[in-house]
Amino acid sequence: MDLQKIIPYKKMSLKELLVPENKLMALIAVVLTTLFLIGVAIYLVHGHHAYAVTREHPWGLLIAMYIFFVVSSTGLCIVGSFGDVFGFKDYMVVSKRAIFGSIITILSGFAVIAFEIGHPVTMMIYNVLSPGLTSAIWWMGTLYGLYLTFMIIEFIFLMRNDMARAKTFGLIGLLVGLAAHSNLGGVFGFLNARVVSNGVFYPTYFILTAFITGIYLIFIMYGYKYRGKPFPDDVAKALTNFMKIQGLLLAILMFFETWKMLTGVYGGMPERADTILHILHTKSFWLGEVLCGMVIPFLLILKSKGTAIKQMVWASVIGMVGIFYMRYDLVHDTQLFPMQTLKIREYQLPPSFVDYFPSAAELMIGFGAIGICMILYFIGTKLFDLDHMPEHH
Amino acid sequence: MARYGMALDYKNCINCKACEVACKEENGVLLGADKHRIWVGVKEIEGEYPLLSIASNTFYPSQCQHCDNAPCEEVCPTHATHYDENGVVRVDPDKCILCSYCMNACPYDARYVDDRTMTVDKCNFCSDTRLARGETTTACQATCPTKVRIFGDLDDPNSEISQVLREREHFSLKPHLGTKPKLFYLM
Repeated sequence: MDLQKIIPYKKMSLKELLVPENKLMALIAVVLTTLFLIGVAIYLVHGHHAYAVTREHPWGLLIAMYIFFVVSSTGLCIVGSFGDVFGFKDYMVVSKRAIFGSIITILSGFAVIAFEIGHPVTMMIYNVLSPGLTSAIWWMGTLYGLYLTFMIIEFIFLMRNDMARAKTFGLIGLLVGLAAHSNLGGVFGFLNARVVSNGVFYPTYFILTAFITGIYLIFIMYGYKYRGKPFPDDVAKALTNFMKIQGLLLAILMFFETWKMLTGVYGGMPERADTILHILHTKSFWLGEVLCGMVIPFLLILKSKGTAIKQMVWASVIGMVGIFYMRYDLVHDTQLFPMQTLKIREYQLPPSFVDYFPSAAELMIGFGAIGICMILYFIGTKLFDLDHMPEHH
Repeated sequence: MARYGMALDYKNCINCKACEVACKEENGVLLGADKHRIWVGVKEIEGEYPLLSIASNTFYPSQCQHCDNAPCEEVCPTHATHYDENGVVRVDPDKCILCSYCMNACPYDARYVDDRTMTVDKCNFCSDTRLARGETTTACQATCPTKVRIFGDLDDPNSEISQVLREREHFSLKPHLGTKPKLFYLM
């Protein structure tokens, strides 16, 4: 079987493939991947005991990092679809790279969740044999599996420059991806017992922040590719447009967040108001989510009227730090309020907000997966032509 | 087919924890395991000496509420959590993938991870043990020195629990969530 016939790629020796284009980035990627493998080894020896998750806080950093990666994937899928699905010519130049990015980010997400789910093999068997159709996790997982398949098919057609088929599979992939991603929001939104998360907010917020994340990542990918030199005109045009869209999206996000917090606190409803006030007193919300994730990139966009695309690369790096905090906080905040409010031992203090800080194994697996993503990206950029689109389609 | 539930005359509870011990012994819960399957919540005395509110000091024996509309069952992606023929909410460890969604969805914090099987477990009204042997009481009920617990079939109008629930005022925990718990606290 000739792989070249299925998906065109640049033929090169293994040595050529593995020689790094940038030694520093290669070192970071290898170190992170090594940490990932060490974390996995610790997990394989100690099982879930290697994690700092508890009965009161059963979801930790790995769930947050899974969400971080799949949000990135959905975002890149949305960004890539502008050109090859919706046919906006100005954005066509980023489509291949964005769709490739969406594949490797979701693969990295799956690498993380494989070590968070206690019994992944059982999951694959009973997801099929005994599907829980009322479970948002079932829908999210199943739809993401389908989404990955469609993204790969779309990418193959993009590489073959078969734009008509790429468009068809891209559209299906986008719709399935949006459904999967809003179901991930639904995983939290359906939690009637957790009043800070319950409701319509997360399923819609996930789609909005996915779009924002996709734009941050497209800036980072092109910023890295054209480091130290100017962007070509077509890329600069696409990025300038995306920067302006990002301004609008960030404004909407800030608007959403403001109202979420206001409605959460208003009236002092027990449990909800206490939890929101607690969140409003945390640095990770103000410095992580608000300052890094929204305000710094937003101010740059406003100040430059959406034209400072080189500075936006760095603002996007800061933005991604903010996106990480958004993911981490949404998982942690959901579980902040203890479900058992009475103490159970005579000299025990009454339960307070639930504490959590990730263990070494969680940190290694969670952040180490960024290394996997980087290695896949570097290999992909060598193997595939992610820049040139056909003139006529 | 029955619809098992439990009424708790919680004001009789003296927090002796005999129920916790009996549950551990009967169901093979690990020694030292805290709040596994069953526990007693302590509500502290309010006020400052000498104006102490004795009435505020109560014990709330608790466990899985065996909801008729259980959020844990609804969110389970593999149907590991299911209702058995007696309306008891059960976990099939062979199907549990330890995604922990049920632990997050349960409003009563009734679920925990069994360290031996690394699957989620909870109270099952002694369905695997005493009920399977044909007995009609749970371990916690049988051992209670102050007769806090009344276990039985809610669908049988002549059962003790049905009679008690007809005669005495009672409440459920977090009823606004619509979970329809089958644990009833007698007032």
